[in-house]
Amino acid sequence: MIAVDFPSIQNLVEWKNIFGDGTFFAFNKIGLISVLALLIPVALFLFAKKDAVPRGLQNVTEGAVEFVENQVIMPTIGPDGMRFLPLLLSIFLFIFFGNIFEVIPTFNMPANARMANPLLLAILVWAVFIFVGVKNHGAKYFIEIIWPPSVPVGLRPLVGLIETLSVFILRPFGLAVRLFANMLAGHILLVTFGWLCVVLFVPNALAAILPFSFAMLVLLTGFEIFVSFLQAFVFALLTAVYIDSSLHPAH
Amino acid sequence: MLLAILAADEAPKEVVNPIIPEVSEMFWGGLSFAALFMLINFVLLPPVQRAMRDREATIQADKDAADAARAKAASAKADADDEVADVRAEASAVVDTAREEAEAERQRLLARAEREVAAMKEIAEEEIARDREDALLQLRPQVADLAVNAASRVVSRPIDANAARPVVDRVLNS
Repeated sequence: MIAVDFPSIQNLVEWKNIFGDGTFFAFNKIGLISVLALLIPVALFLFAKKDAVPRGLQNVTEGAVEFVENQVIMPTIGPDGMRFLPLLLSIFLFIFFGNIFEVIPTFNMPANARMANPLLLAILVWAVFIFVGVKNHGAKYFIEIIWPPSVPVGLRPLVGLIETLSVFILRPFGLAVRLFANMLAGHILLVTFGWLCVVLFVPNALAAILPFSFAMLVLLTGFEIFVSFLQAFVFALLTAVYIDSSLHPAH
Repeated sequence: MLLAILAADEAPKEVVNPIIPEVSEMFWGGLSFAALFMLINFVLLPPVQRAMRDREATIQADKDAADAARAKAASAKADADDEVADVRAEASAVVDTAREEAEAERQRLLARAEREVAAMKEIAEEEIARDREDALLQLRPQVADLAVNAASRVVSRPIDANAARPVVDRVLNS
């Protein structure tokens, strides 16, 4: 029987430590990508000129800033939300550069295909939108979620329970899982077709599948570039939506 | 080598759920994100926003200047149009006045010419009448002689010309 060996899921997502084995600061490929997701945007912003007429890198940095301003903040929070630009821009860039390593040769792994970063960012967003709600409305923020005033009194316990679960549990869980699952699925697809391209390079009948695998690999690489951007955008957009719901809970 | 990039060489010894986050990965992710947020918030974003604001202000100032220049040009054009209209009206008035004056001069010259023609015609008529009168006076004796001769032939006897003169004159005068 003709068959190919396929690595287990653990081999696809878990990497050997480069240093600090067994410690809380053990540094593996995911740690390296996280650090690069910090260094690349920093380098972009540092090396971009601040001329009156933007060229080259300046277009990239200003494009990113304008994108977050016009496509994330303005449609959700509005002009009031500009004070959250540093946070939303950081989230967008950190997730995007964490994701894009999925298609960069020799890395071939998105940092967000591991639960650590998505969970960390989701907890951060959760803390931020609760903080914003309490800062702007005090205890009324919690009361309006637990005991929604616009709902008939008889339904308030049920709706309040659903709202409480939705806002405080499902929001951060959804944020983390959406990003993690999308990137993990994309990573598994890319590895699957990449793996097939390598192992099917054999002098037997299985080689007939090779062109199909290669075409799919090329196609999915392009698609995953788009997904890397899209997931960063969706995460930043939902963060802005949640912050807006804390600023204006009646909406 | 190529396969090692796509997947780890050997499976980790301890099998863990891939959904459970690794503390060390969270540590590096948290550290990196915190550093990125701090740098963007305090160091990297302000100069970019300043450059964007300056550019926007420059563009707005240029736009305002262009609007002002456009308004000024429109005002200058309106002034020029008014001036052209005034000049045209003035020119039209000058032409009308000239035309009226020319017409009056023409009428004056025409009247003078008619008067002159009438005077010349009167003089000519007087001359013609005088010449006719002169011619009649010159012809009258000859006509009288001819008439007397003719009458004497008709009656076959001589007629006294002086005696017949009043008759002849009366005929000629009638």
